[in-house]
Amino acid sequence: MTQTHRLKAPGHNSFVSRLIMSEYFILVLSVLYFFLITAIVPSMMSVNNLKNIFSNMWPLFAIAIGQTFVLLLGGIDLSQTSVMAVTSVIGAAFMCNSANPAVLGKAPIWGWLITESGGPLAAMPAVTSTLIGIAIMLIIGTLIGFINGNLIARLNMPPFMVTLIAQMFYSALAIYITKSQNIMFLPETFENLGSEGIGFFPYSFFVAIFLATAAQLLLSLTILGRFIYTTGGNIHAARISGVPVVRTTVFVYAFSGFCAAIGSVLYSGRLMQGRPTMGSAMLLDIMAATIIGGTSTFGGKGKVSWTLYGVLFYTILATSLQQLKLDNFTINIVKGFVILAAATLDAVRSGIRRTKVSAVPGQVGKKAQEHG
Amino acid sequence: MKKVLCILTVLAMFLSLSVPMAVAEEKTVSKIAFCFQDLETEFWVAGYQAITTTLREQGIEVLEYNANEDANKQLEQVNDAIAQGVDGIIIIPQDGESAVTIIKYANKAGIPLAVFNRPPSVQSVKAIVVVADNYTISYDAATYMFQQAKVRFDATGEKVVAMHMIGDLGDPNAVARADGFRKVADENADIVAKIVEVPTKWDANTALANLKSATQANPEFNMLFCGSDFMYPQIQSVLEPLGKWVKYTEPNHVIMGAVDGDSTAGRLMDEGFVDATAVQDLYFEAEACMNALIASVKAGETTPAQWIFDPGFALTQGNMAERRNDMWGNK
Repeated sequence: MTQTHRLKAPGHNSFVSRLIMSEYFILVLSVLYFFLITAIVPSMMSVNNLKNIFSNMWPLFAIAIGQTFVLLLGGIDLSQTSVMAVTSVIGAAFMCNSANPAVLGKAPIWGWLITESGGPLAAMPAVTSTLIGIAIMLIIGTLIGFINGNLIARLNMPPFMVTLIAQMFYSALAIYITKSQNIMFLPETFENLGSEGIGFFPYSFFVAIFLATAAQLLLSLTILGRFIYTTGGNIHAARISGVPVVRTTVFVYAFSGFCAAIGSVLYSGRLMQGRPTMGSAMLLDIMAATIIGGTSTFGGKGKVSWTLYGVLFYTILATSLQQLKLDNFTINIVKGFVILAAATLDAVRSGIRRTKVSAVPGQVGKKAQEHG
Repeated sequence: MKKVLCILTVLAMFLSLSVPMAVAEEKTVSKIAFCFQDLETEFWVAGYQAITTTLREQGIEVLEYNANEDANKQLEQVNDAIAQGVDGIIIIPQDGESAVTIIKYANKAGIPLAVFNRPPSVQSVKAIVVVADNYTISYDAATYMFQQAKVRFDATGEKVVAMHMIGDLGDPNAVARADGFRKVADENADIVAKIVEVPTKWDANTALANLKSATQANPEFNMLFCGSDFMYPQIQSVLEPLGKWVKYTEPNHVIMGAVDGDSTAGRLMDEGFVDATAVQDLYFEAEACMNALIASVKAGETTPAQWIFDPGFALTQGNMAERRNDMWGNK
């Protein structure tokens, strides 16, 4: 009987349907697109270009992992870019080896946190200073996410509103405490983390892959991962089922802040400075990479590996548009179109899935387990 | 297993394609990247047109990159330009600090780089830097403005209450312009009642909002100095309703000056609304930038280090007859 229903499910066996529903769809698309564009622009395949793609994608991937968790929960975190900014300047203020009073003399942090001889960690060996500086950045990022999560979960405030306000507040804070100045002269070890690597692999690759593996294991092997999917799938059902929705929500936003701080570490090292405007133009990239990967904006559906595919596709797309020598306006139009297409695809997939579930008795209960 | 295969596919895609491609070494200049932070103002647009048009007329391919005011994106774009095998790079950096970082990347890749108009915050970097003497031209323009203020003070006893619109302090040009004005204000402290600093961040909306607030708090202001001409439309929209957008020949005139020398400033000086303009010689800077970079590429230099200063000048209502047509915005 079940078999009969399956055969009758609309579009169930069509190639297009299977391709669209495949979790490897974006990966396949990335590979196909890469080879297609290489035929038009052979320089896409040059070693240096591949190195660029490879180094550009990992910091973005680290941040997008946090956004993936939030989207899985059915939320959104618009504050990630401001977490990057505030952690970038505070971390840099602690780590810098010297500072120019003519530049930073009017900043509120001047005199007690940062002086001409640098920050509080300046006297330490570079490695120690870097490790402590990074720890400070990660703690601050996590703390900001923790505050966001509590406001959302305990006060039932809309995630959009809470994180939008957080974005404004922390961006302004980063600019205020530095008077909009960049902080330079960071330890070489820290700079190398963002700009150097081992052979073809930048250090950011190892950081992002470690983070991704831990995140995916958390989602697929732990009860907390189940809680996240269940809460994102149906928050009311999750509450009735005894899922600790508040704690799960707080954890997810704290983790999102943590991931943004990791991105900040990588970008600050790469730019060799703490920047109060760090990430201010990146929100679209973060959201786009995550959504293109297939993580649903409706919650409850997504994987870290999908986000990797999304980041890969988005990075290849951005590089290829540049290599096609398109002007900036055209590039943004194409990017916007691709994001819209990804969101549409998400809606189409959800529609197909609903149709299949409703057409096959006994499948409804399995829906929640479909993407664990 | 599928997941592992999938991850491996991604990695393999990069590794399998990492076969070094033969790159022809050339001493001739065939491809130059022009990486700019944005084209928000008339100054940048004119500079962009001068550089791209001239290079193309010389048969040089120009790769254009707009970073949309994002330092990280600009760094990625410079790396992309290096990957595309450009012979040289011209950048308008987001700020002096990001210029330092980008120059380091270009030096490491052995690609000569020229910085147009917005200098790096560290002078020891190895790049061609073409920049106006912003401090001096601002000082000269402000000097004329305070001379007019002194005349008014002598006649009416009215002290200076000035709106000082400052650009992004991460930009050394903005800092030098502000310092030039402050220096003159300090020299004329006896006729100064108040200097109100208005941050603009080089953003028209920020400038408008902050200027509105500052003028509401200090309605008696009678002087205005702005770090860039491109904010005149915002200035006019604030001053006009207050009845202070009047010519220098009329009562209630706000003594006004700014920096750049674009066509808007030219028109406003012709009409008598603006008293002085600190003029950067845009076309000299563009030409010097291109010539120095092309010469470096031809000479096989990979890390040229050269600072070229544009002396500029101050165009005032006092020297309009002689120097009006020297301003690039009037050409």
